[in-house]
Amino acid sequence: MKAIKAISLLLCLTLIGAGFIAVSKPKKLKFVVPKGWPKPLYDFKSNPLTQEGFELGRKLFYDERLSKDSTISCASCHQQFAAFTTYDHNLSHGFNNSLTTRNAPSLQNLAWQGDFMADGGINHLDLQPLAPMTAPNEMGESIESIIIKLKRDSSYRTMFKAAFGDGTINTQRITKALSQFMLMLVSSNSKYDKVMRGEDSFNLPQRLGYEIFQKKCNSCHTGPMFTDYSFRNNGIPLDKVLNDYGRMKITHDKNDSLKFRVPSLRNVAVTAPYGHDGRFFSLSNVMEHYRNKMTVGPTTDTLFKNRLPLSNFEIGQLTAFLYTLTDTSFLNNPLFAPLGYYTTPSFMHNH
Amino acid sequence: MLPRSKRFSIVLLVIVIMTVTAAWKNREGQSSSLAVTFHHKVGGKDLVLFDETYTNAFNEPFSINKFRYYISNVEFVDKDGKKKILKDFYHLVDEADSASKRIIFNTSGLQQVVSIEFLLGVDSIKNTSGVQTGDLDPMKGMFWTWNSGYVYAKLEGQSDSSHAPLKYFNFDVGGYKPKENAVRKIKLNINIQSLPTRGIVIDVDVSKWFNAVHPIHINQTPICHQPGDLAMQLADNYATMFSIGEVKQ
Ligand code: HEC
Ligand code: HEC
Repeated sequence: MKAIKAISLLLCLTLIGAGFIAVSKPKKLKFVVPKGWPKPLYDFKSNPLTQEGFELGRKLFYDERLSKDSTISCASCHQQFAAFTTYDHNLSHGFNNSLTTRNAPSLQNLAWQGDFMADGGINHLDLQPLAPMTAPNEMGESIESIIIKLKRDSSYRTMFKAAFGDGTINTQRITKALSQFMLMLVSSNSKYDKVMRGEDSFNLPQRLGYEIFQKKCNSCHTGPMFTDYSFRNNGIPLDKVLNDYGRMKITHDKNDSLKFRVPSLRNVAVTAPYGHDGRFFSLSNVMEHYRNKMTVGPTTDTLFKNRLPLSNFEIGQLTAFLYTLTDTSFLNNPLFAPLGYYTTPSFMHNH
Repeated sequence: MLPRSKRFSIVLLVIVIMTVTAAWKNREGQSSSLAVTFHHKVGGKDLVLFDETYTNAFNEPFSINKFRYYISNVEFVDKDGKKKILKDFYHLVDEADSASKRIIFNTSGLQQVVSIEFLLGVDSIKNTSGVQTGDLDPMKGMFWTWNSGYVYAKLEGQSDSSHAPLKYFNFDVGGYKPKENAVRKIKLNINIQSLPTRGIVIDVDVSKWFNAVHPIHINQTPICHQPGDLAMQLADNYATMFSIGEVKQ
């Protein structure tokens, strides 16, 4: 009799314990807005950040099964050490030897961005993954098949449950988890940031470069994000093969012809090649474009009516300043690398 | 504490009273639900996917592979002018899925329904607030991923008049921004005699896509794949495709 009582008591206790584990809430993750930065645009209430959600998003970001032949993950084109651009590629490689039509941009400080892509066609961060997942020249997969593949993997069932309370795997949860990972990609610890916080100081060329930048670049590449997120024509002529008119594709307004999003210049030293189609292979190519090669057309920004005069001397100092925007603690943050690695492992640099 | 048997009989009594009053209510007013069936046609003929060839007002032959549209924000008005709005209701009607063509609405609280109003499309909030679930799940294939927004209605098929590859014509209509807003409000009055209405059939005439407010020739514009002028014209046209057919009493 006593034994039965003891056993049933034990059973009760385990059941209660199991219940606790099953309903244990995901751990809240704090999103820190760096001092002096604007309010983020992302609606965190609709997708509260949690440790479990972030970890799930990171696993998805590094999972090649999101592509049709399981060879391409988000990280194939967005590599951490290159500030989540594709290292050394003007265009990125997609499914079945295809190429993207644009240069992969850095993924950083996305919580402050309202629309995405060089033409601003995507209006919500949660929607962004659907484009590469289903595009034939990126991951080439259907959402249905991705869900089927994830459901087959018991570790995903556990992780979805941990992040969202039950094991349901659907489009919304996949994209919310990916957003949680991407939202945490905040780069705010470059030398520039330290100088602004009074923890460090510029050397002479950097300081002179900063002054030139304030005069000649800051109206578009506005700090602290180093972009005002607007769409502008900076004098890049049309590439006849890609035939990419940028913002006009979305608005159908000819005044938007050849306008592209002003990209952030944070971590710009590691994000070459440059421009929406990666046509500039180095910073000096970009500078040469601004001062000499630019095509001033009807929609070119009024600031560039006379191109953008820059002396060799100024270019040297500007470059020195731009290098202070590199944030190594971001590029090497083990939190953003796949689980078990300190940074993206070399076998993932597959192209 | 009442004895067990008494407690039981009280519960029983309550149940009986509730059932009787519910039945009584139903008898004198509107029944508490209304079945709406969408009946797809092309001119006078029933719509058949793939196998049937139809002709539009411009003598262009065509067959149809896909016909789908979103119904949302349904609103009923009863004979006393009382309104019932179904917020957060989004339904994808798909010719290929017969279950999707019949919706049973909860109309409790209403007397005889005399009109039904709905949006053909999806309001701008749902177009701009990330990834949705249910019928609005982008997985349903009614979403543009490169230029965020729902496709409100799709009519796809083949036509010898089309100069597009494989003679396809694809009308994918959507758009929520000012000047490109392709959401259309549809209002249908239900002509009722005296008895409560249990079901209505809404006739949907696909031929209106080509010719109603604007003439749309397949040989001129076989493809609509984005918001804009053509999408707006198609939306003006298909906004006229609905009419009340049979009313079941
Ligand atoms: C085949 C390469 C490739 C893959 C795979 C890929 N991307 Fe991208 N990504 C790009 C390119 C190229 C762009 C820029 C597109 C444009 O501007 O039109 C981009 C843009 C983005 C942006 C917008 C950034 C901005 O500033 O506008 C985000 C966010 C993003 N990708 C996240 C992801 C996620 C998440 C995945 C995985 C589901 C992914 N990407 C997979 C190449 C890729
Ligand atoms: C009128 C606005 C404007 C001004 C002023 C401006 N830029 Fe830009 N910049 C742009 C736009 C727009 C692009 C994107 C072009 C594209 O995507 O093809 C760009 C791209 C760049 C890029 C490429 C970044 C990348 O990741 O692809 C660099 C580097 C750059 N600008 C540096 C500068 C510097 C340095 C100055 C000042 C000397 C400057 N810009 C002034 C609008 C401007």
